[in-house]
Amino acid sequence: MTTYDIDPANANAIEARDMSIYYGTFKAVNKVSLAVEKNKITALIGPSGCGKSTVLRSFNRMNDLVPTARTEGEILFRGKNLYASDVDPVEVRRRIGMVFQKANPFPKSIYENIAYGPRINGWKGSKAEMDELVERSIRGAALWDDVKDKLQQSGLSLSGGQQQRLCIARALATQPEVILMDEPCSALDPISTLKIEELMFELRQRYTLIIVTHNMQQAARASDYTAFFLMNQERAGELVEYASTQTIFQNPKDERTEQYISGRFG
Amino acid sequence: MSADATNPQELTVGHLPEGAEVQQNIGQRRRTGRIWQGIFLASIVFSLLALLTLILDVANDAFGLVATESSVDVAEVTGGRELSALSQAELVTIIEANTSGRVQARLNREQPLAERSQEDLVGVIEIEVLKSSLVGVWPLWESLTQRPAIEAAVAEKNPRAQIVWRSWINPDFLTSPMSSVALNAGLRTAILGTLWVTILTALFAIPIGVFAAIYLEEYADQRTWYNKAIQTNINNLAGVPSIIYGMLGLAIFVRVFEPFTSGAIFGAGSGGDGTLNGRTVIAAAFTMALLILPIIIIASQEAIRAVPNSLRQGSYGLGATKWQTVQNIVLPQALPGILTGVILSISRAAGETAPLILVGASTFIVSDPSGPFSKFTVVPIQIYNWTSRPEQEFKDVAAAAIIVLLVLILIFNTSAVLLRNYFRSKRVSL
Repeated sequence: MTTYDIDPANANAIEARDMSIYYGTFKAVNKVSLAVEKNKITALIGPSGCGKSTVLRSFNRMNDLVPTARTEGEILFRGKNLYASDVDPVEVRRRIGMVFQKANPFPKSIYENIAYGPRINGWKGSKAEMDELVERSIRGAALWDDVKDKLQQSGLSLSGGQQQRLCIARALATQPEVILMDEPCSALDPISTLKIEELMFELRQRYTLIIVTHNMQQAARASDYTAFFLMNQERAGELVEYASTQTIFQNPKDERTEQYISGRFG
Repeated sequence: MSADATNPQELTVGHLPEGAEVQQNIGQRRRTGRIWQGIFLASIVFSLLALLTLILDVANDAFGLVATESSVDVAEVTGGRELSALSQAELVTIIEANTSGRVQARLNREQPLAERSQEDLVGVIEIEVLKSSLVGVWPLWESLTQRPAIEAAVAEKNPRAQIVWRSWINPDFLTSPMSSVALNAGLRTAILGTLWVTILTALFAIPIGVFAAIYLEEYADQRTWYNKAIQTNINNLAGVPSIIYGMLGLAIFVRVFEPFTSGAIFGAGSGGDGTLNGRTVIAAAFTMALLILPIIIIASQEAIRAVPNSLRQGSYGLGATKWQTVQNIVLPQALPGILTGVILSISRAAGETAPLILVGASTFIVSDPSGPFSKFTVVPIQIYNWTSRPEQEFKDVAAAAIIVLLVLILIFNTSAVLLRNYFRSKRVSL
């Protein structure tokens, strides 16, 4: 087994143990073990089809929405297996938020986009408190100055980068501990990408971030740890190397990591 | 990979047009495009011509000259004066002097004579006192082009007859009950019957259809054989001829469920417009509901399927349950599409005839339908009924009814578009 240079003193936010994921009879991910440190940004990188998105989506049980998907092994969150029979995925997703590749604001007002998450999760409070929660969430996503005068306008009226930050604000409103981001900048221009990356560093102080990215520069400059995935002979994704981002990009232990980082394949 | 594959100079497989060939090739491609464009345009022109022919044909019958002859001379009842010159009170006196007590009682029941307008009373006198009857009708085209010939022919055969322009579609036509006399025939009972059947059909079919579509799209596991079988069957049912639904309605709703559809178990059905058998508004509405159910389900399914999956994922990602996602995200987004499908299928039900013939719409009733257990008729049945009569004047009445039906369906479809646009604009701005 691979050993990982994670600081053992720091409690892990979430940890996968020998996790395998199947779609029907096809094994998409093979025995991945990955401990994600609290208040850090962990990037999952690798070529297309290496299972990194599948791994990410298993962290908040989004794979359950695919009828054929099946998960083996366990994912520990607050010391409890997320896939235990008494855990409801609805609660998992409230505590482990998700931001998608393509910004997907609801066709509602900016305000309603933010208020939706708390409301469906049984939030109780006054109108003023909801206003406060909405403002705090939007500020948290560094979007307040852009939208404070048009909270009642449709979320779809915003630009692509603003929409993606609205989706981040929406995730913050349910007060999660971990935020999963599935290639959040792949549809954005460089300026918007930079803003999201700056935002990620701010969010790191209060949340744990796991991000899937195709962009190696992004992984190099905007993450603390990097996990490199690759397909094995049976086309199942495997974790090849997991270390601090500095180690992965400057001194990788595995030859395949070194080849991928230097752009020789993928 | 060999080096020459990346060098275009080395490619020698066939050749692209060069020089003069280029112009020739482009001209050829553009000509092909123009031919297809012409074919598409011709299709539109053909459709428009067909529609125009239909409208002209209907209008040709719905307007035109009619020759009426009174069996009683006007001068005899008015003392030589023109009807239009008489006052309201004088007209009432004439009616009371020249009609039986039963006729007066009926007229007073519809609207007291003393409260009626002058023109209304003139009409009443023409029908009840002078007993005007038709001696000839002419379609619009003939009336416009051959008026002298028509006048000559009438003058020869019926010297006392009057020739007047008549629009078969007029306010009286909409508000009068049915009549065996073409001049008095009205569409009120049929319009009310159509409204009753259509509204009840909508009440049954819309909730069931939309809920079934939600289940099939959002809850059912589409990979299982039984759900595939259900889906295939719904698609097939949408194509089953409507007369088959009529046979089903006759067997099930009229016969088997007779105690229910006749209203007997509710103590209804023995009143003035009841039937004591199952040939009632509610049996027709059940049959029509079955007929449009597959259409509503398919249209709603397509509207639900068109909601981007990314929105569902976003909702689930925040911790929403399935129903919260369906209720707050999917349904508001799918609503305009569902509405369009629903209203189009309702206007289909309003125009459908064949199944109702089997279910037993009455061809001649004078009383208005008063509830779900009334006997009834509908506009298309009346059109069918009138066109199958030999007299030309009933063909003209039918033409007027066709215009009414087309306008009714136009209203349905326009409201569909307006509703859809309303919800679409609301959806974006909310």
